[in-house]
Amino acid sequence: MSETTFSIVGSGGDGAVAAGDILSMACARDGLHVIKTEAYGPQIRGGESSCTVRVSSSKIYAQSDSVDALIVFSWADFARFRSEILLSPDALVLHELDEKSPHEISSGGSRQVIAVPFNKLASKGKNILALGILAELFGLPIAAIRAAIAQRFAKKTQVVIDANLAAFDKGVAYCSELPKPKQQLEYVKSSPQLLMSGNEASAVAAIDAGCRFFAGYPITPSSEILHFLGEWLPRIGGSTLQTEDELAAIGAVIGGSFAGVKSMTATSGPGLSLMAEMLGLASIAEIPAVIVNVQRGGPSTGIPTKSEQSDLMHALYASHGDTPRVVIACNDVEDSYHATVDAFNIAEEFQLPVILLSDQSIAQRRETIAGESLEHQVIERRIACTTSSQLVAVQPESSGQPERSPYTRYRITDDGVSPMSVPGQPGGMYQTNGLEHDELGRPNSMYIMHERMNEKRFRKLDAIAKKYSKLFTRFGPQNAEIGILCWGSSTGPVREAIEQLNAEGIRVAAFVPKLLMPLPAIELEKFIASVDELLVLELSYSKQFYNYLRTQVDLPKNRTHVYARSGGSALRVSEVIEQVKLHAEVTA
Amino acid sequence: MNGYSPLSYKTDLKPVWCPGCGDFGVLNSLYRALAELKFEPHDTVIVSGIGCSSRLPGYVESYGFNSLHGRGLPIATGVKLASPALKVIAVGGDGDGIAIGGNHFLHAARRNTDLTYIMMDNEIYGLTKGQAAPTTPAGDKTKSTTYGNPEAAVDPCALAISFGATWVGRGFSGDVKGTAELMKQAIAHKGFSFLNIVSPCVTWRGDDQHKEIRAKMKPLPADYDRTSRVASMAYVNESGVVTTGVLYEVEHPTLVDEMLDIRWRAQGESQPPTRKDLLNAFA
Repeated sequence: MSETTFSIVGSGGDGAVAAGDILSMACARDGLHVIKTEAYGPQIRGGESSCTVRVSSSKIYAQSDSVDALIVFSWADFARFRSEILLSPDALVLHELDEKSPHEISSGGSRQVIAVPFNKLASKGKNILALGILAELFGLPIAAIRAAIAQRFAKKTQVVIDANLAAFDKGVAYCSELPKPKQQLEYVKSSPQLLMSGNEASAVAAIDAGCRFFAGYPITPSSEILHFLGEWLPRIGGSTLQTEDELAAIGAVIGGSFAGVKSMTATSGPGLSLMAEMLGLASIAEIPAVIVNVQRGGPSTGIPTKSEQSDLMHALYASHGDTPRVVIACNDVEDSYHATVDAFNIAEEFQLPVILLSDQSIAQRRETIAGESLEHQVIERRIACTTSSQLVAVQPESSGQPERSPYTRYRITDDGVSPMSVPGQPGGMYQTNGLEHDELGRPNSMYIMHERMNEKRFRKLDAIAKKYSKLFTRFGPQNAEIGILCWGSSTGPVREAIEQLNAEGIRVAAFVPKLLMPLPAIELEKFIASVDELLVLELSYSKQFYNYLRTQVDLPKNRTHVYARSGGSALRVSEVIEQVKLHAEVTA
Repeated sequence: MNGYSPLSYKTDLKPVWCPGCGDFGVLNSLYRALAELKFEPHDTVIVSGIGCSSRLPGYVESYGFNSLHGRGLPIATGVKLASPALKVIAVGGDGDGIAIGGNHFLHAARRNTDLTYIMMDNEIYGLTKGQAAPTTPAGDKTKSTTYGNPEAAVDPCALAISFGATWVGRGFSGDVKGTAELMKQAIAHKGFSFLNIVSPCVTWRGDDQHKEIRAKMKPLPADYDRTSRVASMAYVNESGVVTTGVLYEVEHPTLVDEMLDIRWRAQGESQPPTRKDLLNAFA
């Protein structure tokens, strides 16, 4: 077989997640493709946890719908995840010997439910023992796993390392008492992959893009960005500030960026709500700002630990007044990297706020990435060439036309972008503000000036739409029978579903805009015209994506279908297939 | 710029303030202080929130940022951390800094952020036309307190001292020279300095304000110990007097000091990490 998925479920101290980490890291090092997800109970510490690892010999785009092997240290803990962990029909279930399996989980057909004395075999390292069993039964890379165990406990004593390796070997040996599995994973060892979460990919991208100031307020599920940049920015001469709230976070980012340093904040829905007024400030004052918004279930506190695609309208329209901003989405972990660099590039070149929409499922899952794929061109801000000869901290090559004096910060230009001076730069002084202003930045409340400045600021969106007209993904055949429109984390399951459906002979394609504001409308219209039926898929109860698309392009009513549901559980591949077949039959 | 004269810091933008507004005096003190400190306009950043007094950055030759109501301090903090060589001054009113922006006042002071915060305190909301502020005396009738202000007023200096500001002073806009001197000291201080300037609003608190406050003005005693937080408490929440001078001054590591120290500890003696090191965190 080419892929398999494992889940390990236990209490806080059982090490279910640690086992998943070790397994994922080992597989990544042997060049396998991995997606690892975690789930926890509501307790701050301890409580139940589960870890699901999908391992494949070829590229994968989503977590698997069902689990091929399940390790349960406690059925009571499993109960919490019952609706989230679906077993495949021929799944192997290994559970603690002392515990009685629940009624609905029993052997039957090709499914095997086997009791294993985990506690008795290795009271302390039962998670590692379970790993040994899985490795031997499913043909996983044993040498790489042993190396990953040794590394995991490298900071402990040799005794601890040896004990864990012994537990692993015991698990391997225990397989002689278990029935042989029908199939083992078949793969060829290849070059090592990196194992990264979406949040980590965004943080690395920020560093690569030249971000040297991060300000943020802790919020699930985005805090890993704050943690990572808190550790790394000081090492490369930057700063990270944990602010008193999200208002201050984006305020500090706007200040840092005004001072000429690429700056970013990261938050989730509740934080983005607080940032709304500042979005308007960055927009009217024309200050580059990157805001990563990792969506979770909403509204209000909602479901902090689960994914949803329901901050879309908020990202597109938050803040009063006519407020140009850019919204970019990322589709997976690797894409989080590219989308973050794009966010900086657009923010810096066009001097406006850019919101990157990620979500919990992308941000917190770990996924394998080829290191060499993490390359992306970086674009710098256009710095004004002021009249003074003593330029400070300015790149001369980006200076362009010398500014007339006094420096005209908001000079009306064809693409709406006015070269920006940086505090410290002689001759570049100006006052910026959230008040409507003239070209010099002076407050102005006349209609004519307001109209001209709105035109100038919105012209930047036209320029962005033109320059980034290819910021979308399209897959599946040309002239498909069904054309799916989706965005963000729905893309993975849609992509896998499309591969399966086309293999079955149903012609399905998908168009996924990565640039959501401004939308790549011309390409989108071409796609809409090329398919027979349209299916809009999203995890938003109120159909935010569908409603947004309706304001941007013509969605033919008689051939457009919508599948929109609340978040809280990831879109499943089988769900997409089911929806497509519902409409494919109609046209067939 | 030819020399450093107070007038050379003046822009040709005409202030929107009412005739007789105390903020004119504050602005003149600032011109004087900047000239005496010989600050280069291009190295100076003045950040404000929203309100009458927050219009000030536009009137000073410098990099100015008239931001959002209550949010001047976080923006000023970002400017300073991103570019520590800049001289950063935050200005605003009492409503801006204590009502809507109170939380930021607490944290900017607590962090000992390297900037000077000048509050123009007129005990009223002027721009929105005369509503009660957190500094409006209890019982005062304003546009929003028809039956008299039911709330107790706070003294911004008392807040600043308890929030952890390392330099706290009080001045009066009518005393341009004395206030300029206080500004110079505040700006020269290393860390978070807070200067509350009683700056009368003649439009909403009456024409007699200047006279009344001048009559209440009293300098600190000659033997006053400005390093004592306990001693400073005798000169906050006063009634009948307005004590001017430096109420509190101590030295502590500043936010920029701490950030540089973190960099030093993060980097240690080793070479700065390469991109390969960065990616190795995931290998």
